[in-house]
Amino acid sequence: MSRQIGRSVDPKKVSGELFTLTYGALVSQLIKDYENEDDVNKQLDKMGYNIGVRLIEDFLARSNVGRCHDFRETADVISKVGFKMFLGITPVVTNWSPAGDEFSLLLENNPLTDFVELPDGHSNLSYSNIMCGVLRGALEMVQLDVDVRFEQDQLKGDNITEIRLKFIKRLEDAVPVGED
Amino acid sequence: MASTQKTKPSVLDRPLSKGKSEINLSTFALLFSEIVQYCQNRVATVPELQNKLSEMGQHVGVKILDIILIRERGFKREVKLLNMLLFIKSNVWKSLFGKEADKLEHANDDEKTYYIIEKEPLVNKFISVPKDKSSLNCAAFTAGIIESILNGCNFPAKVTAHWHKGTTFMIKFEESVIIRDKAVEGR
Amino acid sequence: MTIFNLYIFDRNGTCLYYTEWNRRNQSGISKEEEFKLMYGMILSIKSFCSRLSPTDLKDGFLSYRTSKYKLHFYETASGLKFILNTDINAGNMRDNIQQIYSNIYVENVIKNPECKLGQQITSELFQTKLDDYIRSLPQFATKLS
Repeated sequence: MSRQIGRSVDPKKVSGELFTLTYGALVSQLIKDYENEDDVNKQLDKMGYNIGVRLIEDFLARSNVGRCHDFRETADVISKVGFKMFLGITPVVTNWSPAGDEFSLLLENNPLTDFVELPDGHSNLSYSNIMCGVLRGALEMVQLDVDVRFEQDQLKGDNITEIRLKFIKRLEDAVPVGED
Repeated sequence: MASTQKTKPSVLDRPLSKGKSEINLSTFALLFSEIVQYCQNRVATVPELQNKLSEMGQHVGVKILDIILIRERGFKREVKLLNMLLFIKSNVWKSLFGKEADKLEHANDDEKTYYIIEKEPLVNKFISVPKDKSSLNCAAFTAGIIESILNGCNFPAKVTAHWHKGTTFMIKFEESVIIRDKAVEGR
Repeated sequence: MTIFNLYIFDRNGTCLYYTEWNRRNQSGISKEEEFKLMYGMILSIKSFCSRLSPTDLKDGFLSYRTSKYKLHFYETASGLKFILNTDINAGNMRDNIQQIYSNIYVENVIKNPECKLGQQITSELFQTKLDDYIRSLPQFATKLS
């Protein structure tokens, strides 16, 4: 007797498990390929960046979101539109710095880490580090230079997963050589 | 060495999800695309690249097999060859891709060989292969998933992806599997 | 009515893609030279617009028309610039360019690992899809008399 699971067949969606496990396969491949876990983190960040600079186009094409007026609006859009669209979750935006140039995203459930448990000896590994790269890359494409890092991670025993974003500067459009 | 004071929650404490979670196709496509590029940078030839993708797929296959067997089959696995193939064509495909595979065929000239045919595999949807790499089929990743599921169920086989009627996954079982299956059928 | 040509520039001013349909007059300079001039002109018009209306830019510069052709401009928040030239009777092409961006560019270039960003687009899939789309438009209806 087989019970068939009833995943609706939406051509714009894929199985969350396939996604989670594929990411898992990537991380374990990287751990095999690199000796040092800091290098794994760096590689994940780099791959995330590459994804981010592409993902932003998909985001802009599909969301109809225009330019944000301030960093608070950006934070809201990242959580309510961006995360919602690409990962199906809506992190809480919180812990604003007094100057309004730094905030945190709190993730209750991280789709990258379903089925994941970090064995001992991987304390340096930032398993979901790809997300930092994605955010950095995507924001850079809309002229925002932002520093992104994990502050807390449920995989490491924290109660919540927290990503910290710090605004550095606005990037200006490049003017080609020979133009004024 | 890593002595964290915090107690890590065990994955086993959480119930197994029902497998209904879904994710935006773009997210997956971009991740997969990055994986292809990463692999490409570390190998020199198309066959090597396909092997690498297959290895990644095998990693996914082992785990998805456990999940499906526990969730849908009450831990039971198939013992007959044909049922095993149907299990892949139907259950595995549905869990992974939300649909059954398009076709399952037996080779006319070789009893060890079967084909699963998928006109447009999910992983190839956004990949247009450049002319100089025309034999590259990134569905090697999916082939790896199938291979590790077959191996995990004790049907050792080699699975490869080819451009034919869309994508054809060629499954070549080991001789022993066919002999055993005949014995099972004979009883 | 008809459509002459299309330029796609990235934020650094690299021409990612150029193609033409019913373009009857050539500029007589090399394509590289022409891309530079086109990009430079667009930048100038943009800066002109933002100086005229510094506080409320809304959509900014959208199109202009001469006695011979009409130029339609679309820029994404990520700085991609699409420039489509049509004859003077074509109406608003903004939705069409948006379609090219979201359904053709994003689907076939962005999601294709074989397409490197910031480099010329060589994907055949992209080229055929774009060509099919442009040729299917009512504005394309070619009566080359």
